[in-house]
Amino acid sequence: MNGTHAQPGLPSACHRLHVQSHRPVARAWRSPISTSDADPLRPLLAQCALGNRQAFETLYRTVSPRLHGVALRFMGRPDLAEEVLQEAFVRIWYNASRYEAHLAAPMTWMVNITRNLAIDQLRKRREQPLADGQQDALLDDGPSTFEQLDSEREARALNRCLDTLDGMQRQSITVAYFQGLSCSELADHLAAPLGSVKSWIRRGMERLRRCLES
Amino acid sequence: MNYQTTPLRRALAGDYAIGLMPATARRRFEALLLDDAALRVELGHWQAALASLTGTLPERPVPDHVWEGIQARIEPQVLHLPAKKPLWMNLRLWAAAFGIVIAVLVGVLYQRDLGVEYNATLVAANQQPALQIKAFADHLQVEPLALAALEPTRDLELWAIQPGGKPISLGLVPTAGRGRIQLSPAQQALLAAPLTLAVSLEPRGGSPTGQPTGPVLYQGQLASL
Repeated sequence: MNGTHAQPGLPSACHRLHVQSHRPVARAWRSPISTSDADPLRPLLAQCALGNRQAFETLYRTVSPRLHGVALRFMGRPDLAEEVLQEAFVRIWYNASRYEAHLAAPMTWMVNITRNLAIDQLRKRREQPLADGQQDALLDDGPSTFEQLDSEREARALNRCLDTLDGMQRQSITVAYFQGLSCSELADHLAAPLGSVKSWIRRGMERLRRCLES
Repeated sequence: MNYQTTPLRRALAGDYAIGLMPATARRRFEALLLDDAALRVELGHWQAALASLTGTLPERPVPDHVWEGIQARIEPQVLHLPAKKPLWMNLRLWAAAFGIVIAVLVGVLYQRDLGVEYNATLVAANQQPALQIKAFADHLQVEPLALAALEPTRDLELWAIQPGGKPISLGLVPTAGRGRIQLSPAQQALLAAPLTLAVSLEPRGGSPTGQPTGPVLYQGQLASL
């Protein structure tokens, strides 16, 4: 596979592949998060789509501590995490009718909304120049990436598969996931050559995929 | 660029799910997603798999103000309304409303003829003013000045007479000479030209022939104001 081929359609993505393949896309993925129809969040989201405030409050009481934990993991600061959480629920309310049950379990959908907002905020903050002290504060904030990785690697299927990855493959994917870094930012963050980072991501994702499909 | 190759689609969906794409590439990929159900499924798998990275994060209790903030965002009018308005503000509002009502009433009283386009005073044979007629856009307002008593079997009928023309009925004068005569568009058009107005004595219900059958009791010129 040629990982360096120019791909003008989507510049700067880590993958610049241009190869022909006739393997079918559809295949059986293992689903690490339950997509069961019995998921009690499903009817709540459906009611939210109909404008049912009571259902929305029930949904909020049920999932907000979980999403708060997610937001805090991304933002690292309680005030920023609360802002993200609030915005996430506003979006959940207004976009409930756009939830597609066949694509994602309700919790996955809501985690993704929260994560996307958090990453948007992180990216904005990265674009703003920080004062010297702030930069140090960010570096010292919270447990190190490795400690976090250890605690988070308990998750079921994905983490079983992550365990099959090389250390740098795993770290690249996880750091990128939780910080919303582009490949070049990731290279800076890991103090590694860009080519190596791209390779870790690509091979890591391929292996992850094979593992999740198995 | 051929986005249909399987490895590329997989790789892009994976990049997007992880968050590796810069903003422009993200937007382009999102545009692709809109038309490509298979790509959405592929992305859904990656997102579900990666979301499990958050599965072991500890839950955190949420402060009450977050829920209040959410409610304010989805139903702003509830939280932004003051619980009770100060009394002085209500008084001022009432005073302003009262002032407007007074102004309108005064305006109406002093300009009662507002909208009157033509005016006619019909006189009896002895030149005594008998009937006041004001012409509005779509109706006539009739007021008695000195009308002769009328037998119950009779009605007064109002006619418009153009110079050299035949009388055209405008309708019956209201009982006791006071009231309103509605005008049809054809009748309204008549009033644009100089006219003589005449009132004839007719059988109850008005002239059976379409032309005056009884004596003309009152007449006068319709004059522009």
